[in-house]
Amino acid sequence: MRLGMVIDLKKCIGCYGCAAACKAENATPPGVLWCRVVKVESGTYPQVRRISVPLQCNHCGDPECLKVCPTGATFKHENGIVDIDHELCVGCRYCMMACPYQARTFQHQVLGYFPGGLTPYEQRGYQRHQEGTVSKCNFCLPRLERGLEPACVANCMSRARIFGDLDDPTSEVARAIREKGAQPLYPELGTDPSIFYIAP
Amino acid sequence: MATASPPQRSPLMTPSFLLAADLKARYRPQREWVEGRGLFLIVAHFLSGAGAAAWLLAVPLNGPPGLVVGWVLVALSGLAHLAFLGKPARFWRMARRPHSSWISRGLLGLAVFLLSGGGFLGLAWLGQGGSALGQGLFWLSLLGAAWLLVYKGFVWASAKGIPLWNTPLVPILYLVYGLRGGLAALLLVALAQPRAGELAAMETLKLWLGLSSALLVLVYVAVMRGTGLTAAASVRALLRGQAAAVFYLGVVLLGLVWPIALGAYALATPVSGVVLASVGLTSLLGDLALLYAVARAGLYRPLPA
Repeated sequence: MRLGMVIDLKKCIGCYGCAAACKAENATPPGVLWCRVVKVESGTYPQVRRISVPLQCNHCGDPECLKVCPTGATFKHENGIVDIDHELCVGCRYCMMACPYQARTFQHQVLGYFPGGLTPYEQRGYQRHQEGTVSKCNFCLPRLERGLEPACVANCMSRARIFGDLDDPTSEVARAIREKGAQPLYPELGTDPSIFYIAP
Repeated sequence: MATASPPQRSPLMTPSFLLAADLKARYRPQREWVEGRGLFLIVAHFLSGAGAAAWLLAVPLNGPPGLVVGWVLVALSGLAHLAFLGKPARFWRMARRPHSSWISRGLLGLAVFLLSGGGFLGLAWLGQGGSALGQGLFWLSLLGAAWLLVYKGFVWASAKGIPLWNTPLVPILYLVYGLRGGLAALLLVALAQPRAGELAAMETLKLWLGLSSALLVLVYVAVMRGTGLTAAASVRALLRGQAAAVFYLGVVLLGLVWPIALGAYALATPVSGVVLASVGLTSLLGDLALLYAVARAGLYRPLPA
């Protein structure tokens, strides 16, 4: 089993719903973006085009971050999810230099969003984050264990994201890759990403 | 009764917020290995290269004082590495993956060098440096020093996210710059306790290394300019952007022009110790500047591609 995702850029409307859902689900502190949306403009007036491209950890089949991690803090689950054991991470940030997808963030200081200290939600959510370590998307593993989809998928209002088992040829995600010609980012780097994009 | 809320830094001032702003840029700069505590990594790699080279070169050129200086520089580099880490108390865990991580390999080299080199210096101080144990430790320390000199270039070169570093030229460049740093450190040591013929040999070697490194920097910049769009953007950052001041003042002027010009002059005419000391100091500053400038010019590949 290898979990992966297809993001249909034809359907993505750039609402940032996935990024907001990720923040709410994972209680990431300010500036820590496990999921983000980049707007790309191309062409010249009057032939101008603007598309939205959601970005996050690609959960590569051959991840560079895992190779360079000196402690084994970065590891891979049997279902293909690349994860971080925060108790092992020493905060060397080598993985951040190695990841071509800029998917990782170093947590310098876990701050709150509002003046006056951490809210009760932040106090509880921030227990998952450690200062001085690196963090990133884990496909909402706790949700998957409860039989739910990742928050970014469940909250995508235009259903631009398809999540599932890449190894199962009958899965919706595998069919979307096969039938719609979805492509990963930077395939030439040999990292074998698990996130594919359908061109707009 | 209302209680005063604790003072809190604005989230807008944090490195994390800066990161969020960087993510919007076409070519996002790497900041973690060059800003804030990232500066300690630059210093650590500079010290480990210079220290290891000083240890290796002290054998034919300078003797015990150079060995002590080399060992101390590498020990300081270990402390600088610790200062850089987010969780320094867990540093020993970095030795767990030498089969795939250059940082693990570097830590093992550092440990081998510090233990064997320190053991040898201790035995030598007790007058037992020539014993079988002393010689065994000495040869082990030479291996450790050679490894330290080589490994750091591979740490940077194996970072696939940053095309400016992801090239086989970086290990060669950092090896030569490590040797330069070690020689400059030995030059300063030798000036404190001059011995016959020692300075002349060092000056000749220093000039040769200076010219070699100048050529290497030129080749590196020229090659990276044509390697791809991101590497070319990094070269622009090096020559005309955020790293340009350090590159021209530190790498070119202090690190290359001044030592090479004075080195050539010193070959023709005897010069004072102060002038030679300036060559050593500026050369060291130039070496540090190169590591900083290359780190500062590091840009990630654009996303989306």
